Amino acid sequence: MRRRTFLGRTGVGVAGLAGLAGCVGDGSDGEAGTATEGSTDTATEASTGTTTGTTAGPSGTLMVATYSSFTGEDTAGNWLKSAFESEYPDVTVEFATPENGVNQFVQRKQQGAPIDADLFVGLNTGELVRVDEQLDEELFAPAADGVEGSDRVKQDLWIDPDGRAIPYDTGYISLVYDEDEVDEPDTFDSLLEPAYEDALITQNAQHSDPGRAFLLWTIHEKGPDQYLDYWQGLVDNGVQIMDDWQPAYNAYTEGEAPMVVSYSTDQVYYHGEDVDVSRHQVGFINDQGYANPEAMARFVDSDQPALAERFMEFALTEEAQKEIAVRNVQFPAVEGVEPGGDFGEYALEPPEPVTYSYDELVGNVSGWIEQWARQVATN
Amino acid sequence: MRADRVAIPAGVAATVAALAVLFYYPVGSVLAAAVYQGGRLTLAPLAEVLSDPFYVGVAHYLVTDPLGIPGGVAEWLAAGAPSVRLGLFGFTAYQAALSTVASVLLGLPGAYLLARFEFPGRRLLRSVTILPFVLPSIMVAVGFLAMFGRTGVFNDLLGPLGLGPVELVGTLEIVVLAHAFYNAPLVTRLVTTAWESVDRRQVETARTMGASPLRAFRDVVAPQLLPSLMTAALLTFVFTFMTFPIVLALGGLELATVEVWLYARVQDLDLAEAATLGTLETALSLGLTYAYLRYEAAQVQAGSAGESLGRAPLFDGWRSLDARRLGLLAYAAVALVVFVGPLASLVVESVTGPDGGFTLEYYAFLLEQQRGVAVGTVRPLPAVRNSLLFGAGTLLLALPMGVVVSVVATRGGRGSRAAEALLTAPLAVSGIVVGLGLLQTLVFGTELFGHRVVVTGAGAVIAAHAVAAYPFVSRNVTPALGGLDGRLVDAARSLGASRARALVDVELPLVAGALVAGAAFAFAISVGEFDSTVLLAEGVDSYTMPVALERYVGNRSLGPNLGPATAMGTVLLAVTAASFVVIDRVGGRWER
Repeated sequence: MRRRTFLGRTGVGVAGLAGLAGCVGDGSDGEAGTATEGSTDTATEASTGTTTGTTAGPSGTLMVATYSSFTGEDTAGNWLKSAFESEYPDVTVEFATPENGVNQFVQRKQQGAPIDADLFVGLNTGELVRVDEQLDEELFAPAADGVEGSDRVKQDLWIDPDGRAIPYDTGYISLVYDEDEVDEPDTFDSLLEPAYEDALITQNAQHSDPGRAFLLWTIHEKGPDQYLDYWQGLVDNGVQIMDDWQPAYNAYTEGEAPMVVSYSTDQVYYHGEDVDVSRHQVGFINDQGYANPEAMARFVDSDQPALAERFMEFALTEEAQKEIAVRNVQFPAVEGVEPGGDFGEYALEPPEPVTYSYDELVGNVSGWIEQWARQVATN
Repeated sequence: MRADRVAIPAGVAATVAALAVLFYYPVGSVLAAAVYQGGRLTLAPLAEVLSDPFYVGVAHYLVTDPLGIPGGVAEWLAAGAPSVRLGLFGFTAYQAALSTVASVLLGLPGAYLLARFEFPGRRLLRSVTILPFVLPSIMVAVGFLAMFGRTGVFNDLLGPLGLGPVELVGTLEIVVLAHAFYNAPLVTRLVTTAWESVDRRQVETARTMGASPLRAFRDVVAPQLLPSLMTAALLTFVFTFMTFPIVLALGGLELATVEVWLYARVQDLDLAEAATLGTLETALSLGLTYAYLRYEAAQVQAGSAGESLGRAPLFDGWRSLDARRLGLLAYAAVALVVFVGPLASLVVESVTGPDGGFTLEYYAFLLEQQRGVAVGTVRPLPAVRNSLLFGAGTLLLALPMGVVVSVVATRGGRGSRAAEALLTAPLAVSGIVVGLGLLQTLVFGTELFGHRVVVTGAGAVIAAHAVAAYPFVSRNVTPALGGLDGRLVDAARSLGASRARALVDVELPLVAGALVAGAAFAFAISVGEFDSTVLLAEGVDSYTMPVALERYVGNRSLGPNLGPATAMGTVLLAVTAASFVVIDRVGGRWER
């Protein structure tokens, strides 16, 4: 808990400065108390605190681990922090953005190092499977029952049969294509035709989210016994497999190929009078899109369990769902939320969303990906 | 002057201690997983990789069927020696060899130009040759796409000539070219330094004794250039053997290297297989390093650094345009396309909007970030400041460490090559292995006497950078130091100077050129370093220019484009170019 203590001290420093500047408030007193008394007291305080009152509301510091682009100016993470802190004035939300994502915490658990965070935001199904395959102990705690609003999350987005990870948004993997160059491909088989020779750029499923989703989509459609043959066909027809979404999309922008695996929200970025929308057509193969929900889960080792659950509840409120959708450019996870604005107008949802469930991925996903990569790399 | 007497042993001890904590312990903790499983030593993971045709191609017979090899070779020859399966290791070595050849071909004429000709801007050009070295791969990929892509500038140039279009993206050719972009400057830099320290009097002596210019070059100059050329070739081979982001960003998974696989295994948390691949990779590159060091020790000739060779003016009226200069002009055209093209494209991208028109939106974005107050906002100025601070700190640590290693290396004696190889090991270990090791040991912390000791923060970042950077100092300094006349030191010592004083007062001023070159490399390593910086920096607020750039890649507030990242890349270019000029100029004062 060294890190927590350190952050607490920083909190005192900030509070002290604020005091000097003549803006002492209740919040700074609470923070100073937290820092000097240590984190154990804070935990008790938070878990005994009620959620309704503002006078005796929860207090302390909530450490949220997430990916770096979730934080910073104008992001969903920063909006959540500000809004949550104004709802609970005695609470401070801090972010940790480890470069290797959830692996950081799996490895910490394996090595017996402390988990210095309360909540992980940005977990997908494959990652949750990996967490459970790697660890004998639990990394995340069941939360769905204690989190109000989780029953309103769309049924087909639930990625965790154990109710630890709660989805807060989802993207749909689709094709983005240039309609002046190619027609929209109707089926996976049509991608093998000469019309689509050298036409598709996708990403490496070993380390790219959309690349992995596209691979899983093909396995979903072709079956675990057939997908390698199908991919051999794609390779023979000149598919390009690049590192990650950004290089792939950039190559698409530079005209290397007329189709790229991307997200169905592409036109949220590209619309309006001075944009050539023909370059940004969204294609749903088989009228499908592969759903890639993002979820949040509380660490078992969190010493702010109640506060973590309040935060998850907050992220599922209608207001937060709209803000997350617009700022993260992903679809809301909760039923009946309509983000409106540009997002509401230009984000396209596939007629038939497909995805693999947790149970279908367990014991399979690593092997599928490695077989695929070996197949492509030996070409 | 007791402190004087113990300075060198103390320096050696400090270097070894720093290496043990920041390199051997972390890397060892990763590699151990390859040979230590379930509580006991095992060779099973190694055997598994070595017998898998996917990894080693036809070489798997060495493990799976060693007795059948003669028969197999005979059969293969009888079949007309068709191409064989190289496997991941074989392919990686193949592309590294191609990349090394390309880097030498592209780098060597540059050294000739810089060492032997005088022209306006020569020193500036010499300073910034190292620039490609600091560029993050994603930026290089962007520059290469804009330059060599299907609709890139290169094809636009070829069009009017009735040539092309060439389609390079996705091919081995563009990967090799990108590797040459990174490593040819290394060749240029190292060979230029060596060329400039060739004693003019030796050449003149040869000439007065009747040698032709060509003969004088072959017998006097070339032997003194060879060690630096071999150093550059070896480093290029090792670097491109361990390449991974460029392969994926420009070539694709079909051209996968060992490092691509290693990274994928780490991400899948299959650390045993990752460690096995890392061990094999390290063994290969350490072996190469050791072989090279033995060669280098045999090459170094005694001589004293005297006056350097004179430079001919590059332009001296139209009549001076002889074959040599026409050749250099052609080379300049190639260099313009390969080096300036991608960098210029990067700068152009930073002021070009999605519709192709001029825009300052991305620089406005940087300013806006600078004003931002939200948690996790990556502000450009702190990134610049951190990069410069870490770079300066790295110089302070890496220069003494590098010189100490050079002194150990030139002292000779039994085992000094092996000792040097071990002290040079940071060059030979993949960045992924080092990063993973640092994470597992120093960042997570270790239980020590009941306390968890965690090493993070600026000090740790600087130390990690210095460990990665000092081998470049010693690779520059060792050949120069070894080339000095031993009698100079003997004379100083007989007059009562300690070994350390003789080094500082006599030897180092004589090898100042090499020292400055090493300093530039050390600074470049620090500025360009990404993996360990990200892992060791504390919290969300200590970031360097490459880290900021990487975060801007992920920032899509201006839509899915690289505009903000290219703007940051342009800032990185400007700041580092200015720094290298300063290092060269300040260091240059030592030269005379």
